[in-house]
Amino acid sequence: MKIRGVFIEDTFAEAFTMRAARLVITGTSPRWAMAAALKLTGFATSVIGCKIEAGIERELGPEDTPDGRPGVSVLAMTMGKDDLPKRLIERVGQTVLTCPTTACFDGLPDAPDRVGVGSALRFFGDGFQASKVIAGERYWRVPVMEGEFLVQEKFGMIKAVGGGNFLILARSAPAALAAAEAAVDAMAGLPGVFLPFPGGVVRSGSKVGSRRSKTMIASTNDAFCPTLRAITKSDLAEGINSVLEIVINGLDAPAISRAMKAGIDAACRDDVVSISAGNYAGKLGPHHFHLRKIMSDGAAA
Amino acid sequence: MSDEIVLSLRGVPQGTVDASSLAPHAWGELAAGDVARLALRVEGVGAVALGDVFAVKGERSNRVRVAGDLSIVEGLGTGLDGGELLIEGNVGARVGARMKSGRITVTANAGWGAGLEMAGGTLDIGGSVGPRSGAAPLGAKRGMTGGELIVRGSAGPEAGASMRRGLVAIAGDAGEGTGRATIAGTVVVFGAMGPNPGQWSKRGTLVALGPVTPPASYRYACTYRPQYLSLLLRHLRDQRLPVTSEHLTGSYRRYSGDLAELGAGEILAWTRN
Repeated sequence: MKIRGVFIEDTFAEAFTMRAARLVITGTSPRWAMAAALKLTGFATSVIGCKIEAGIERELGPEDTPDGRPGVSVLAMTMGKDDLPKRLIERVGQTVLTCPTTACFDGLPDAPDRVGVGSALRFFGDGFQASKVIAGERYWRVPVMEGEFLVQEKFGMIKAVGGGNFLILARSAPAALAAAEAAVDAMAGLPGVFLPFPGGVVRSGSKVGSRRSKTMIASTNDAFCPTLRAITKSDLAEGINSVLEIVINGLDAPAISRAMKAGIDAACRDDVVSISAGNYAGKLGPHHFHLRKIMSDGAAA
Repeated sequence: MSDEIVLSLRGVPQGTVDASSLAPHAWGELAAGDVARLALRVEGVGAVALGDVFAVKGERSNRVRVAGDLSIVEGLGTGLDGGELLIEGNVGARVGARMKSGRITVTANAGWGAGLEMAGGTLDIGGSVGPRSGAAPLGAKRGMTGGELIVRGSAGPEAGASMRRGLVAIAGDAGEGTGRATIAGTVVVFGAMGPNPGQWSKRGTLVALGPVTPPASYRYACTYRPQYLSLLLRHLRDQRLPVTSEHLTGSYRRYSGDLAELGAGEILAWTRN
């Protein structure tokens, strides 16, 4: 299969079941909502080192938020259901509670599993906090120097999918980067997904384990490193001089499939040789996204 | 099974009717005859069959409509736990007392103690209410513990007195002692709030969108815009209460009190920017 001359390899991305929450951060202006969202999603690229993966789903207009102010929708995911509340309490407490004018609301109100966030952060109020129930939902008002921080007591938690991906194999580093940027732009704002890595792009794809250390759980994916083609069992054909990866996390598999389809299509441009994907031979992750199937009909694999 | 059960008052009862023993949420399995045999108490008469006071139409439904001048019918909807009760016209005292869930709509006025000790659900009064709506019975410690009481007219004295949780929203004026001795909960008044609001309150919020004079035992704290009010007022706007954009964008003077009690309560007095 080729798209505008770019070969689509007959392979699949292998992804994992994770737990996700959606946070709606509002502020008096888009500037402050985004300021909190950027801090909250900072250092949240991979659970390997960050314990959480988080990213901005989209910006919200006043008509889309509970308090009628501009906002940002953030998705956050962990591997285990016990990890998610811990990480949310840490991050909301350090990055939203601290940020002027902001409030934080649950973006998954229909999720039956609820985890306490405001119920823990309220203690910052040192006994001066107060709760209010509005339309059946409890919110905490935590007094702060600016006025009050408002946070919902509980947030919805659902099973989600982490680790959807594709690889852009290009003739040059500039060509790979241009294709990756185009892919990220094409996926920006799609509902239910986020790209956890810097600018949406990963240059350091990893393999499981290490050749030299038994304690490392991941190390460089030497099979896709152009500089190692001559000395390792390379998966790169002659003429490929740079590879970039796009990792996509989503609330469900169809959302990831839609994003992959849009991203791969945008990445098929000059000096891109092929599109591949990372997997573990299907042994680790239950979600398999077959590139050719996605590009032919967009359905989840 | 019918879409609804309709109770039509046959005439003016000989005395005050106590309908608090009825449990309309449990009528989903009752035939019309069974409903008509339910007992009411009429002052000066004693126990009578519901069918003697009301004409019954329909059966096996959790939606009940009551029609007629019900000013001397008390305790309608007491303990309601689901379903829907529509009262067309005025109703007497203690409508929706101790209701747990479901919805009661009154198209006109209600007597004293509307929503007395209510714990959940929605009680929507189209007109005005008498004293102690959403409050505790005299001598009792706790009033409302949950749910929403909406009054589209005005409220008599001591609305929300001793309430523990829940929301009372009054579109018109509220009488003396609104939110007196609240333990927690919220009272929103769109009109004027009578003298001594929130007196002896431990916690709880009184939102004054009209004129208010906080008691001397309240102390001014600051002027700000509590973000939670955006949610609350939007919710009330969805309930067709007269929330304006100025209410949403305005600032509020916060008074803490009652300082003769715990002092964790507040009066939030809307002020134009």
